[in-house]
Amino acid sequence: MKLAIDETRCKGCNLCTKVCPYKIFREGRKPNRKGTIVPALDRPERCTNCRLRNLYGRTLCGVCQLTCPDQAISWVEEEPYERKKVAIEY
Amino acid sequence: MTRTEFWQGNTACAEGALAAGCNFFGGYPITPSTEVAEHMASELPKRNGVFIQMEDEIASMASIIGASWTGARAMTATSGPGFSLMMENIGFAAMTETPCVVVNVQRGGPSTGQPTMAAQGDMLQARFGSHGDYSIIALCPATVQEMYEMTVKAFNLADTYRVPVFLMADEVVGHMREKIIIPDAVERVPRRELARGTLPFHTGGDLAPGFPQFGRGYSVHVTGLTHDERGYPAATNPKLHAALVQRLVDKIELARDTIADYDIINPDAEDLFIAYGAPVRTVQQVMHDRPKEKIGFLRLRTVWPFPEKALSLFKNAKRVLVPEMNLGQMAREFERHTKVSVISIPKLGGELHTPDELVAVLEAR
Amino acid sequence: MSFDEWYRQDRLPHIYCAGCGNGTIINCTLAAVDQMGWKKEETVFVSGIGCSSRAPGYIVTDSLHTTHGRAIAFATGVKMANPDLNVVVFTGDGDLAAIGGNHFIHGCRRNIDLTVVCMNNQIYGMTGGQGSPTTPMGCTSSTTPYGCTEIPFDLCELAIAAGANYVSRWTSYHVKELEKAVKVGLETKGFSFIEAMVQCPTAFGRRNKFKQVADHVEYLRAHSILKAKVDRMTGAGETVPEGLFVVGELAKRNRPYLGAKMVAKTEAKPGEKS
Repeated sequence: MKLAIDETRCKGCNLCTKVCPYKIFREGRKPNRKGTIVPALDRPERCTNCRLRNLYGRTLCGVCQLTCPDQAISWVEEEPYERKKVAIEY
Repeated sequence: MTRTEFWQGNTACAEGALAAGCNFFGGYPITPSTEVAEHMASELPKRNGVFIQMEDEIASMASIIGASWTGARAMTATSGPGFSLMMENIGFAAMTETPCVVVNVQRGGPSTGQPTMAAQGDMLQARFGSHGDYSIIALCPATVQEMYEMTVKAFNLADTYRVPVFLMADEVVGHMREKIIIPDAVERVPRRELARGTLPFHTGGDLAPGFPQFGRGYSVHVTGLTHDERGYPAATNPKLHAALVQRLVDKIELARDTIADYDIINPDAEDLFIAYGAPVRTVQQVMHDRPKEKIGFLRLRTVWPFPEKALSLFKNAKRVLVPEMNLGQMAREFERHTKVSVISIPKLGGELHTPDELVAVLEAR
Repeated sequence: MSFDEWYRQDRLPHIYCAGCGNGTIINCTLAAVDQMGWKKEETVFVSGIGCSSRAPGYIVTDSLHTTHGRAIAFATGVKMANPDLNVVVFTGDGDLAAIGGNHFIHGCRRNIDLTVVCMNNQIYGMTGGQGSPTTPMGCTSSTTPYGCTEIPFDLCELAIAAGANYVSRWTSYHVKELEKAVKVGLETKGFSFIEAMVQCPTAFGRRNKFKQVADHVEYLRAHSILKAKVDRMTGAGETVPEGLFVVGELAKRNRPYLGAKMVAKTEAKPGEKS
């Protein structure tokens, strides 16, 4: 699984940057289309819930999602790796 | 088999409510309506209903609105000071279209006034008491029999139109004991449930929308804010607010003729009495005492919405005499609807008009 | 199932300001409700007026957004008329302690089976930051421009004194603890009161030297002291430092309560035509 921030909901309060024990959330730099400075993810693969949620069958940690006042943080399933044929045109 | 009883008006009101299927009463003691609450407290638990004495009238009104949304036929009873406190949530009930019945056994006001004496001083408050524009239904009983019948009717009207309905009794009718004939069964008009798949506040051409009862999976959001058909707040939309408030008023005012309930006696008379509530009894006495004279009488049972058509039925009327136990609250409304001179016969102090007082005005031509 | 499924997705994002703690409290409450395994059609959220009271409008159950301060009175009607419904009340400090104070203490006294979650931001947020009954002494608001001179209410002490079965206090920083507290509240029969201290960056923080949202949350964290620690300190005869508020489970009792579910009854429920 991987962390996802819903930019349509995030209001840029940066509370996630305070509560994440791994400091995965970092303050963003650039405002998005709505003018909100959405936090950036710093090596999100470190998140325990991303790695172990499916294994344990429950949410681990999850403090960022509970804390996010704007319901903008969630985990989405990663698309399984697919072999893709690449046709090379000469 | 009908049975005959000798009951107090307040008891008749409570029994009428029970006959109509009232299963929730939230109240607060206040003279002269307390007997309604007392009777409900003793009877409702036997019938699997709920009686709860709340901490004040504000909470009483709130509790019956909450109960009504779970599908209960809910009622409260109060008098002037309590009625004033209820105004806030009466507006909420009007805005959210919550069916409920409020019995107001009127006493002398303003403020604490005359707790044990009769008055009809809350007639305009009943119509206009809460802030903003809305419409309600108000019924006025004049006998103990009517206390029973009109309480039943109040529940049916509330469920039909999804509106708070007031039973505007007074201390005379509430505390008077009289013969009353109890029917075997009364008519119960059920609340129309919301059709599945319909937005909760979508009327579809009808005046009132179907009722999305709590606990049945409608996921309805009920708010006192201006709301759209989904029930979601849309307080800054001018068109939507105008349409909503207009519909809340229209659903009652356009149904005036259907809701109207009155008696007409001697429609070709020149002198016309209009009365509602306890003064009806004095007018009846005057007419009884003067059988040879042709005295017109319009006896209103529904006061709000005002049944204006009834006035136009008295074609020859030259004078309209309005005895009221206030300083002419309804007389002003009658003036708006007739070109004939309206003579108010106010009476304050808590006693009924005597027949002589009415005769004096009748003869002073 | 996750608590996210309890939101009306078509209503998000909500109206709360950036950094407002109310969203956090709704998350924690819904997470607890979700764990209870309740069905959506059996759950009703009731609220009064104010920022906190907008919450039920974002939750996909039957919900009642009522008049200022009256939420508990409305909820009493709902619960008494149909005790099979699970009723949760969202309220704020102004709604609950000022205009709704009477309904609050009588709800506690009746010990009616409700769960009341109070988002205490110590200010009237919706109207623009006026002082409330919980504004701490010395704090500035638009109606206490020279600092609040009144002693604030301790809502939990009030609930305990008035007779609530379950009382606890946490902050918007303690999300896991709050979630657990709400769950215990939902499980406890009778009146459960959970006070959640929240930050209000727009109306409170701005006037009280919290430049960043995180500063205010950090303040709440640093100024909370665990109930267990207070008990330990008083037991050892130490003095508890002033200016802190106690967090944790403050009361859990088993007094008789109102609004028991009608499991065994076979007769028609109130609300159904007999």
